[in-house]
Amino acid sequence: MKFYYFHLMPYIMDHDEPSSWVTLSNRHYDPAVGHTLYNQYLDQFEYAEKLGWDGLCVNEHHQNCYGTMPSPNVMAAMLVRRTTRAKIAILGNGLPLRENPLRVAEEIAMLDVASGGRIISGFVRGISAEYFSTGVNPTHSRERFYEAAELILRAWTEEGPFPFDGRFYRFHYVNPWPRPLQKPHPPVWCPSQGSSETVEWAAKRRFPYLMVFTPIKRIAQIYGEYREACERNGYRASRYQLTVNVPVVVAESDAKARELAEKHVMWVFNTGLRMHPPFWRPPGYITEASLRRLLANPPVLPSDLTFEQADREGYLIYGSPATVRDKLRVFADELQAGILCTAMNGGTHERTLELMQLFAEEVMPHFREDAKVDETAGVGR
Amino acid sequence: MPASRELSVRGTPIHLMQDGTGPALLFLHGAGGAGRWLPFQERLAGDFSVYFPSHPGHGGSPAAEWIEHISDLAFHYLDLLDELGLARVHLVGASFGGWIAAEIATMASHRLASLVLIDPVGIRVDGWIYPFLFGMDIPEIVGTVFHNPMAALALAPPDQSIDTLALQYRQGAALARVAWNPYLYDPLLRRRLARIASPTLLCWGAHDRLAPLAPCGEAWAKAIPGARLQVFDDAGHVPHLEEADAVADAVAEFCRLQGAKR
Repeated sequence: MKFYYFHLMPYIMDHDEPSSWVTLSNRHYDPAVGHTLYNQYLDQFEYAEKLGWDGLCVNEHHQNCYGTMPSPNVMAAMLVRRTTRAKIAILGNGLPLRENPLRVAEEIAMLDVASGGRIISGFVRGISAEYFSTGVNPTHSRERFYEAAELILRAWTEEGPFPFDGRFYRFHYVNPWPRPLQKPHPPVWCPSQGSSETVEWAAKRRFPYLMVFTPIKRIAQIYGEYREACERNGYRASRYQLTVNVPVVVAESDAKARELAEKHVMWVFNTGLRMHPPFWRPPGYITEASLRRLLANPPVLPSDLTFEQADREGYLIYGSPATVRDKLRVFADELQAGILCTAMNGGTHERTLELMQLFAEEVMPHFREDAKVDETAGVGR
Repeated sequence: MPASRELSVRGTPIHLMQDGTGPALLFLHGAGGAGRWLPFQERLAGDFSVYFPSHPGHGGSPAAEWIEHISDLAFHYLDLLDELGLARVHLVGASFGGWIAAEIATMASHRLASLVLIDPVGIRVDGWIYPFLFGMDIPEIVGTVFHNPMAALALAPPDQSIDTLALQYRQGAALARVAWNPYLYDPLLRRRLARIASPTLLCWGAHDRLAPLAPCGEAWAKAIPGARLQVFDDAGHVPHLEEADAVADAVAEFCRLQGAKR
């Protein structure tokens, strides 16, 4: 199994506002605190590489305390020069949120060239609330996503200049300098919530599918759908196409880990993902068919998720190293997930570094049968 | 009870309600008003042959993928007039329907015996930004749209079934396709209002918080040549729900007067 260290770069705070997204006033953001946080979080990434993590994951979110990385490419750029081995996975750029997707093609190519080909490029639509903070029409989201992805992939792989005439994006000269170093292009991942349209789209292109903060039963179901879609497209899914993002808390004892998880992991769900209900469901962001599936079996709102339910349904992994190893076996052996992305938060920077070290020393080595395998070979492109 | 039927307008299927006899009157509903034949329409049907279609994607009309811009809806209704064989109509539009009606009037005033706009949105007004209803929950929306919240009951959904929630979502998406950004206006419309040659009545709720009388109602009155502005003191954004009889009477009188002039 491959291990990727994932960070939201949250601005952790408590508040009584109805939403941590879009409307939570940025007067709560203290740049001096932010300075310390950014540097601690970047230190954690660099430490993760030293400890043996295979990849480092950054991501794009706007206008909230949940994740303060509106431009993931900026953070990736800092990591490129401070690391030498780990993959840098940008999970991802919100393609429809950009007015000009060629900027994504250019920035990823810059990072890929500068890093010596260590970049993984996630393509995402951006979550529902981001259509409120960017003003992009959510009814265009899906179509803009497909069109932008097509444009970026062509910009990376076809010799320029060529013209592009889409519904949303139009250029007479597509000819980005630099071109990416990896051939035919950096691996593309699809972090998603499991809409059947995206599963099919990703499977067709061998783009790895990443399930984020999802109960384990649903991960199993979507993995099944993804594998079937790969079969329909004439190939068998590699385990490195099945990736998962689960928060992990490992500590000296189960009780200690539980205490940390109840506080710090549940902050992400209960506060970080607290959202004014309309922000969850902008009009036209999902298809009516997807909406009906959702309503027939409504998922619990993250803000209503209790620790007991999160524990029971596998939203997180916590425990002593031995317990964490056992829980991780379910992901590695039963779900056959090839890559685990995980954030860690011990409450303080120092404690977080300790958790990371404990995980790297006591858990990771037990899952290293594939140490010599390149997880990006033959997938994502 | 109005007669209900499905018809195809240049290939786009729609649901249409119709009742009454007399000169033809086309009513264009606002967001959430599709298929709601209420006392306002009932009263008008006493004097007019009232046509009340649901916009594509709203009420009983399926979504139409080809509709991308507010002018698509305006052309759609000019096509409907042709389909119904109506050379000229009294055109009455409320809120979002008022926006569509104004677009139609800038294109084809000659098809309109008169134009009535009830608290329309659709133009950019200096000094005003429409509150963003898409970001509001139901109580916030009711508080913004209604002066008398009891009037909102007329638009309340019949239940919380999956079908009802899916319909509401489809209506929101149909609205957002043409009204998300720019929100509730067409940047080109205000300048074009000067082209409107049909006699125009503006009905405005004194307590409209979505598109307030000042500056919105005043801007409309200034932009449409010869428009008459009538204010309803006990209404918010939807006077035809909040003061149904008074607004229906004002509309009927205005339309009768214009009809008699011709």
